Amino acid sequence: MSAFIVVIYPSVQGALTKVVAQYPEGLKQAFGIGELSNVEQYLHGEMLSLIVPLAVGYLAARAVASDLSGAAESGRLDVVLSAPVPRAAVCAAAFLASAVEVAVVLALTLILSLFGSVVAGSGLGVGDAIQGFAAVWPLALVACGLAVVVSGFSLKTSVVTGAATGILVAMYVLDLVGKLDSGLSWVRYASIFKYYGNAIETGIEPLAFVGLACLGAALLALGAMLFARRDLAA
Amino acid sequence: MSPVAAIETDRLSKVYPGGHGIEDVTMTVEAGEVFGFLGPNGAGKTTTIRALLDLIHPTAGSARILGLDSRRDSVAIRRQLGNLPGDFGFGRETTGRRAVELMVRLRDGADPARADELAQRFRADLDRPLGELSRGNRQKIGLILAAFHRPALLVLDEPTGGLDPMMQEEFLGLVDEERDRGATVFLSSHELDEVERICDRVGIVREGRLIAVERVPDLLGRARRKVTVRVSGQADLDDLRRVPGVVDPRAIEGGISFGFAGDLDPVVKALAGFHVTDLEVSRPTLEEVFLGYYEGGSADKGAGGST
Repeated sequence: MSAFIVVIYPSVQGALTKVVAQYPEGLKQAFGIGELSNVEQYLHGEMLSLIVPLAVGYLAARAVASDLSGAAESGRLDVVLSAPVPRAAVCAAAFLASAVEVAVVLALTLILSLFGSVVAGSGLGVGDAIQGFAAVWPLALVACGLAVVVSGFSLKTSVVTGAATGILVAMYVLDLVGKLDSGLSWVRYASIFKYYGNAIETGIEPLAFVGLACLGAALLALGAMLFARRDLAA
Repeated sequence: MSPVAAIETDRLSKVYPGGHGIEDVTMTVEAGEVFGFLGPNGAGKTTTIRALLDLIHPTAGSARILGLDSRRDSVAIRRQLGNLPGDFGFGRETTGRRAVELMVRLRDGADPARADELAQRFRADLDRPLGELSRGNRQKIGLILAAFHRPALLVLDEPTGGLDPMMQEEFLGLVDEERDRGATVFLSSHELDEVERICDRVGIVREGRLIAVERVPDLLGRARRKVTVRVSGQADLDDLRRVPGVVDPRAIEGGISFGFAGDLDPVVKALAGFHVTDLEVSRPTLEEVFLGYYEGGSADKGAGGST
């Protein structure tokens, strides 16, 4: 999808500029839509501000849920835990596997987008694109951590995936509400999207990148503790 | 110095909000013995096993496995333990071989060649996805995963479920070999004839409580036998009623039948007053003894089958 957006940009650039000029400023700021005068802004507005983070977040949560809840549901967890493996290690392995999976997906999406840009002549900057997609990764780590925490309460794959993704969506909504209503701007602090930014245009914010990654790790630690204490019913 | 017991529980309890679970389970499984854990569905067998394996946490009591605390030392215990869960599964796409490879990695130092040897013995296909295997063939994979690393303690939850009679014999042979090796086998089962053949002792659980732990021969020996005596002429039951151990003597067509537990000699002497034409003494099977616990809660209620 990202590659498609990049490929069609040269065709729609003129029309987009006119359409966006008519949007209310508040709306543009809330949804991170800039002037769309270049492909980076377009890619951020169409994909990297919402769709990619939520899609990748869902993917991350689903992968963790599959490795924990799915393993419990299939009986694999019982067998794995008959080996000398701490439950925390099982959680960490699920987290890391998901983090790698998401990194691969983001890398492939980046490569396809850059390829599309070359083919269509969209002029997508390589460094900008790398930062834009890389900035999504710590959000995915938070989603992974949320899934591990939810696994401490439920071993149903659908519940873990839905709850973790739901929390991400809720945080996006909080961030949006905070942007739309200046009186409620404080609610943005409860949302990881406040710290996500617009890396494809302004570069990765190192503190935010590391902070979100650390939040993901902290959620993993909490989730592992909860998972270790819960019963694994037959 | 006597060896450390393989399993020791002290008032182990797991009470669920609905009221089911286990309560005050206290037992010792000695090192090197084969211990059968019997009970109908829902009696608490799997709950007990999962509490021992630290898959669920007890609400009261404690357990020690191989001398180690079942919760605090769970990882150390599992180095020496092999487990076959009640409904073995490992994911539909995985093959038995991939499962073995994973377990070899998790059990640093385990010999995968033994898995191949067991696979040959049980005629198990390690290279087909588990989702394509029948329940019995999946169960074989589960047995292999539990036993291939030669653990000190094997915990098997209904191990012969789905196995054909030939494989059940192979399984019994494997259990014998494990015992000869010095391993302890703790198994829950519904297959009472197998338990009778292979177990040194059995524990019987009913409604979450352990109601009996006995050596199988003692359990069968104490159980009531059924005696059928064919006599010519009328049979007076009063003499029989006075014999210790005789229960419920009744006249049947052509003779007498009664239940009996204890010393047979007084019975024979009491029967000397009759003209006995035939005498049949039936020992109860373990199944009949077991069912007796569920009819009234006592081994004395085991009834006889034919010998």
